[in-house]
Amino acid sequence: MQPRRQSFIAVPTDPCSGSLPALAMADFSLRPRLGFKGAGTADWLAAQGLSLPPEPNQSVKDDQGRLIARLSWGEFLLLGDFAALQSAWSFETAPLCFPLPRLHSHAWIVISGDAAPKMMAKICGVDLRAHKFAQGRIAQTSVARLNAIVIADRIRGRLGFHLLSDISTSQYLWDCLCDAMLEFDGAPVVLEALAKESHGQTDAQG
Amino acid sequence: MKIMNCPLNGPRNISEFAYGGEVKPTPDAQAPTQEWADYVYYHANQPGILREWWLHVPTSYWFIAERDVTTDRIIATFKPEEVLR
Amino acid sequence: MTRLPAPWGKWIDRTKSLSFWFEGKSYPAHQGDTVASALLANGQSLIGRSFKYHRPRGSYSAAGWDANALVQAGSKPNLSADRLAVQDHLQVKALNYFGCLNRDWGRLVEKASRLLPAGFYYKTFFTPRIAWKFWEPVIRHMAGLGRVDLQAAHAYYDKEYLFADVAVIGAGPAGLAAALEAAKAGAEVMLIDEDQQIGGSLNWARGGDGEPMAKLAGWPRISLLEQASVQALFDDNWLEIVKGNRLYKLRAKSVVVATGCYQMPLVFRHNDLPGVMLGSAVQRLMRLWGVVPGRRAVVAAANEDGYAAALDLMDAGVQVEAIADLRAHRDAGPFAIEAGQRGLRILQGVTPYEAHENNNRLAGVSLAQIMGEGRCGPVFERIDCDLLAVCVGRIPATGLLSHAGAKFAHQAHMDLPTELPAHVFAAGSVNGCLSLDAAQKDGKRAGALAAKSAGFEAETPPAPLRDCEGVTHPWPIFAHPAGMEFVDLDEDVQIKDIVASMQDGYDHIQLLKRYSTSGMGPSQGKLFWPHVKRLMAKEKGVTPAEIGASTIRPPMGGETLGHLAGRGFEPVRLTAMHRRHLELGGVMMPAGAWMRPAYYGQDKNAIEKEVRAVREGVGLIDVSTLGGLDVRGPDAAAFLERLYTWTYAKLAVGRARYVLMCDQTGVVIDDGVAARLHDQHFYVTATTSGVDRVFRLMQWHNAQWRMNVDIAQVTSAYAAVNLAGPKAREVLAKAGTSVDISKEALPYLGVREGMVAGIQARILRIGFVGELGYEIHVPAQYGEALWDALMTAGQDFGIKPFGVEAQRILRLEKGHIIIGQDSDALTHPFEIGMDWAVKMDKPFFMGQAALRAHLEKAPTRKLVGFELENDQGPLPKECHLAIEDGEIAGRVTSVARSPALGRVIGLAFVPPGKAQAGSRFQIRVDGGSMVGARVTPVPFYDPKNQRQEM
Repeated sequence: MQPRRQSFIAVPTDPCSGSLPALAMADFSLRPRLGFKGAGTADWLAAQGLSLPPEPNQSVKDDQGRLIARLSWGEFLLLGDFAALQSAWSFETAPLCFPLPRLHSHAWIVISGDAAPKMMAKICGVDLRAHKFAQGRIAQTSVARLNAIVIADRIRGRLGFHLLSDISTSQYLWDCLCDAMLEFDGAPVVLEALAKESHGQTDAQG
Repeated sequence: MKIMNCPLNGPRNISEFAYGGEVKPTPDAQAPTQEWADYVYYHANQPGILREWWLHVPTSYWFIAERDVTTDRIIATFKPEEVLR
Repeated sequence: MTRLPAPWGKWIDRTKSLSFWFEGKSYPAHQGDTVASALLANGQSLIGRSFKYHRPRGSYSAAGWDANALVQAGSKPNLSADRLAVQDHLQVKALNYFGCLNRDWGRLVEKASRLLPAGFYYKTFFTPRIAWKFWEPVIRHMAGLGRVDLQAAHAYYDKEYLFADVAVIGAGPAGLAAALEAAKAGAEVMLIDEDQQIGGSLNWARGGDGEPMAKLAGWPRISLLEQASVQALFDDNWLEIVKGNRLYKLRAKSVVVATGCYQMPLVFRHNDLPGVMLGSAVQRLMRLWGVVPGRRAVVAAANEDGYAAALDLMDAGVQVEAIADLRAHRDAGPFAIEAGQRGLRILQGVTPYEAHENNNRLAGVSLAQIMGEGRCGPVFERIDCDLLAVCVGRIPATGLLSHAGAKFAHQAHMDLPTELPAHVFAAGSVNGCLSLDAAQKDGKRAGALAAKSAGFEAETPPAPLRDCEGVTHPWPIFAHPAGMEFVDLDEDVQIKDIVASMQDGYDHIQLLKRYSTSGMGPSQGKLFWPHVKRLMAKEKGVTPAEIGASTIRPPMGGETLGHLAGRGFEPVRLTAMHRRHLELGGVMMPAGAWMRPAYYGQDKNAIEKEVRAVREGVGLIDVSTLGGLDVRGPDAAAFLERLYTWTYAKLAVGRARYVLMCDQTGVVIDDGVAARLHDQHFYVTATTSGVDRVFRLMQWHNAQWRMNVDIAQVTSAYAAVNLAGPKAREVLAKAGTSVDISKEALPYLGVREGMVAGIQARILRIGFVGELGYEIHVPAQYGEALWDALMTAGQDFGIKPFGVEAQRILRLEKGHIIIGQDSDALTHPFEIGMDWAVKMDKPFFMGQAALRAHLEKAPTRKLVGFELENDQGPLPKECHLAIEDGEIAGRVTSVARSPALGRVIGLAFVPPGKAQAGSRFQIRVDGGSMVGARVTPVPFYDPKNQRQEM
């Protein structure tokens, strides 16, 4: 029997499954993701055929809609199914490149709605308005007093963010977001409601 | 709230950073105890421009800042490898 | 309710009627009214009582600049009636009276005012010291502000960050011009204004032009924040702004301060009576709310403002009896000329010398000729009137500039900015450009400069000349032999109080403030400091410029704790098994930000039962909060050798070893275990509270050493349990594992990676509790599945979850120390019996040099195990002191009754001479009695450590 993998976030059982609310948020924590870090990482990932953002705090999408985020000169966060990379990696084949268990270290929350920057301004001190924080930009900063990675992305055709933050505090963060989005008629939705266009790949076991 | 320019993350509120002390050379492992004691316990605390370690907490990134400790003006920030060659 | 016809009263909506309560009586009002405007419209000029003498007070500035009109609205104390918007059914009470507002017996204090000199508290109540205990409650009761309602429901407050290229503070003529100019240059502008509607003096001053809002039409780059007060201007253009229940933190690239001016009070006998008001207050009341605060008026003037106010009063149909112009000659300004043409009685060189009271309000003023600075001739006339409008000067509202570190100079009897910090600009009347034309030109200039400073291209128009000469009277202060001339209305400070404070020796501005209490009131002396400075200067024989500007600090206005607290963000860390702990009745306790089960269930012997389960059967504890670090790379072993005291280069893959970290002073700061999973990979555990520090230290050192190693913080990525007890192996086998867990294949301190219950796991044969045990680390999202698998597998073996409390006892029985509990900020490894974990002959490790020095000196204390000689007496607690010949000789660090041994055991620091087994020492317990303890070798339990190696 496959063991059960469990998000740290308790999502209401029927979170607003009808039409998309003006501001919507879904728990993507069970969706695949991966990280690599170390001085040899950029070289090794490029050798695996990935095209990488040239500078830290930028992200790009590949042709499969997977998101490749560069967090520093030698650290990358890969949102989507990169299982092939995982099996290609070893200490011997990837010198100075080390995998990070991002699937389990970080919760992944996706926010969609044009009021998303305004909502984030209640919990985050970085200017995330679209004309100052373009699609693909990354801010590694403090959100509701937690360290978090914020990535700008259009989600379901609207402004949106990927929010990655320590998994142990993810319920707290979820609750903060629920509270912050109330004044914008925001609500949690099921994962599928936001997954359609943002990440096409199938749900995978970590 | 002051702003500090992180070499990795750009300008951020000072609340995202932690102070790490003055940049100074570490004595040799076998250096006399007195030299180590000076390194560990003695801080000049002089007014003027100092080089200091600062940490950007959300990314755990250490870098070096040049700061006028009299006026609390941050003059410039550097990646560590730019300063410690 | 009487109102002037439109266009007077431009802020009230006459079609919308409201009613509110003041002092138990219902009053009608219009939408747009403030409590002060509505009360005055109903003829109620008495709004509260003064702080010290309980004198009658009413609205003085109609702008909330003073504490005269503070009221309580529902559970909210100390709100200015000048700014408090009327809401239907609002319950408003006056402050600080006894009996009823109209007949306050507290006013008897005034009769005794002679007995209440400056520095009254200092002089009277502190000797004998015991007296203060009696007087304090009496004084607190007499000199009160609002009442805090302890039953009030918590309101929802929150915070928001805002961003702009240019922030403009104040949307009067200068601010509007600045905002438009900056927006024209392409800047994103945030325009902040505290009034009901923007426009500042454009709304209420004679000659102001109508539609401020229209100016902003078509400028989407200008965002407007109305009814918002800027409380502070901090470093790097960081503004704290309060609006409603939200606190905004605005970051701008540059700031224009266009905060305008306050109007200067006139100090004379009884200048505080309801009916004595600033001229601007009268104009505001009429133009904004359609309220005339009197029928017969006298105007005290020292500039054109006075003539403008007089003309406005005439236009509103008020009988203006006279203008008392403090100046010997008036300027030929347009308003003065018009006033003369309209036949107003103008008295030159004359001041109100005393105001007369009837029924708690102004009934008349006595006028006297001014003979010199602050000196008057005899009263030559008394005029009956119910309104005195005061227009004797301006006080630039420089508070925010002061926050930013601006420097000021005394010019035209005002403090005007001379040096501004980079990116901060002053515009309009706060900058000495008082006329409408000058203010607008100055606003344009400042807006262009601010845009430039924010990185936009803009042509800077020339600066207009300051036109502030002859506006502010040099000495509008007239002492009276009978006193009661109020310099500070907030605190009831009279002229003689300032003079007496100086004579008592408090002649520095900062000392005088505290001693006389002037400037200590709710408005922080906004209106009153210029006069205090004048009086100080005169007493000292210097000019006001030489007194210097007092530093104005944030916040600008009153601030509620709700604003400061905001929404309240307190992150809580939960482990993967949190839900299971709750289901099992876990009593949760905080461990740093984490929540951990202290024990399970309500049974009063719960902890002891959990201990027994581990010793006799099998127990399961969630240790996910343990710090986890992946240290990887070709230099991983060498890196650990430099950071930890022991040696790891030769540690075999598949083995774990204790790690102990010292700082550079040799003090023990953390411990854990390093498990070698690969030649290049160590999985290092750290204490729950220490891991962040350890991680930072590792990162910091490698920023300098630049070894070929990478450090990753993986604490949260792994859920972990310790399966412990004689039956642990059987439970693990039953749960199913791909790893050979036989004693031979996986001995004590062995490490394997493999599957447990279908989950990829790191299995470490280590334990803190001294039994056969496995620490099993799995990816966090599988934590609950692992817990369930082990609990199910353990059912037949009587498995019991155990919490932090049981673990503490179990480890104490083994004599294991907890860093931070059994060590302190000075403990080095040799004091706590960790010599075996320190390899002094390594080339280098953190703290080595300091430890070398420690070894050269005689030790001063040792951590030892002890047993109580008498278990039945009082029990020591952690931090109780060991006493030797009446001196402190050490302290207890851990103590508990051991279920396994049936005795009270503990750890304590004792002098080296007392550290041998069998030595006796005394511990002083609660209540002061002494109990005897005997040094005992550790481990107390299973001294040969056979059980953990089964």
